[in-house]
Amino acid sequence: MIGAIRSELTRLAQPRTLLTWFGLMALFAAMVNTIMVTFVTGGGNLPPGAPGVAFPTLAQMESPSGLMSGLAAASSMFGVITLSFWALATATDYSSGLIRLLVAAEPRRWRLLTAKVVALALVTAAATTVAAIVNVVVVLPAAGTAGISTAAWGADLLNVVTSAWLHLYVAVCVWGVIGLVIVTLARSAAVAISIGVGYLLVVESLVKMLKGVPSDWLLGTTLGAVASGGTPAVSFGTALTLALGYVTLGLLAAGLVYVRRDVTD
Amino acid sequence: MAIITTAGLTRRFGPITALDGLTLELPSAGVIGLVGPNGSGKSTLIRTLLGLIRPTEGTATVLGSPITNPAEYAARVGVLIESPAFVAGLSARANLASLARLRRLPLARVDAVLSQVGLTGRDREPVKRFSLGMKQRLGIAAALLSDPELLILDEPTNGLDPAGIVEIRELLRELGRNGRTVIVSSHQLSEIEAVCDHLVVIRFGKLIFAGPMAEMLKRTREHINIAPEQAGDMDRLAAALTADGWAVTAVDDLLRVTASISRSADLNRAAMAAGITLRRLELAQDNLEEIFLEMTGRVDGELADGRAGATGKVAA
Repeated sequence: MIGAIRSELTRLAQPRTLLTWFGLMALFAAMVNTIMVTFVTGGGNLPPGAPGVAFPTLAQMESPSGLMSGLAAASSMFGVITLSFWALATATDYSSGLIRLLVAAEPRRWRLLTAKVVALALVTAAATTVAAIVNVVVVLPAAGTAGISTAAWGADLLNVVTSAWLHLYVAVCVWGVIGLVIVTLARSAAVAISIGVGYLLVVESLVKMLKGVPSDWLLGTTLGAVASGGTPAVSFGTALTLALGYVTLGLLAAGLVYVRRDVTD
Repeated sequence: MAIITTAGLTRRFGPITALDGLTLELPSAGVIGLVGPNGSGKSTLIRTLLGLIRPTEGTATVLGSPITNPAEYAARVGVLIESPAFVAGLSARANLASLARLRRLPLARVDAVLSQVGLTGRDREPVKRFSLGMKQRLGIAAALLSDPELLILDEPTNGLDPAGIVEIRELLRELGRNGRTVIVSSHQLSEIEAVCDHLVVIRFGKLIFAGPMAEMLKRTREHINIAPEQAGDMDRLAAALTADGWAVTAVDDLLRVTASISRSADLNRAAMAAGITLRRLELAQDNLEEIFLEMTGRVDGELADGRAGATGKVAA
């Protein structure tokens, strides 16, 4: 298994791919923090049910956890980026025909799939770290400029940073697994990314707008709650359980297909 | 011991039968050619043996282990299936290192195979900059990585220039001489004839021939190619010879007469009797390509028997 993971990591270590992935995470972290500070101080106007973002209040921003609130605010956006790269990394095996060599070399296909998930999760940890660092680097001067009090931000710093990182990491990994699952089923990165973005920007937003329809179980809402460490509507425990349920179901479906399907690519 | 055995191996893709009760035994050691028209089932056979696809019926063994458990023999088999498949953005070395890690091989093997296929010095370039020939060399290097007992190569000389073809041909011969079994699937029958000791011919998933190349080449027929002095006499000569009982076929600007060289004087006399002087009279012999075309019916396998349009579904 270690060999399969190292093999997968070697293939993922493409400078251009990693730069794009990490660069997008950094860009979104910078953008979200800049917009969030403007919004929190009253300069912005977020429409209700706006997809992909959930900005904190001024009081939440000025609390100790306000330092890292940018990560949770746009967790769905980070999630879509992660979904896209997991999808691309998985789809390349099919589009390049590499899947033939991989399965011929390691016929225990479940090992290949597990190794891919582990390797992508390791790279996602690095991408999440990049987003967290950029978040801190951008939010400090941005908050100072906007007049947001940062006096409480030093309190319980290690716990705040670690839990924000961990919450975002778990959430984006679930997004990534969804990308991997869709590609394994559809063998197309385009389909996976279209479904991911389309679902987040259109389907979930539409369902949220419907009155009387419970939306707390929806993927974006659930993973947003995981990234935030829980919301008033969904507790962290409930969100995490739901997220793990989605992951388990998705991986079971992908695993069955991956192991049993003929390799004709 | 047979390195590969199949018994009634069948694989159907919907209405298409890609492998149709294939039963064969391939000897260990040497170079074995696997040939057949497009859609004959060559790739399906290779993929089935490697555990990439499952047979609908029948059984098979590779290196003595059943294909239902390919993990038992995967480490002893090297493959190049269809076109070489690599991560385009990675260097040749990184691509091979990735496969070496998957197979738990020392990275020293990467240098060894790069040198074996003549890619040392180009190994740090991204694969996307490689020509088709270089990708092909890299594909062969990947197949050799585990120093396998059985090597299965699909069109190994595809995209190589003449010098590269000769080089790879030598490599295959050397591998075959050193106790390995090399199975080469190719459309280039001159390549197969030049390299292989044994031959397997399949068509529409059925075995047409399996045996030593020498046995196959015994099926060759001798011909005498003739041409009249005056090009305008071609039809008259053909008619006269046919009337005289000779089997005559027009091929380009020649007449091909099916007869052994010992009858060349008779043939010349027959032409003279018709009042035609020959400017050319030479012995010719069927090569593997002609025998193959004769055996397989001179049709594109994908276009025969209503197979047109079904190739997307058939891994063949």
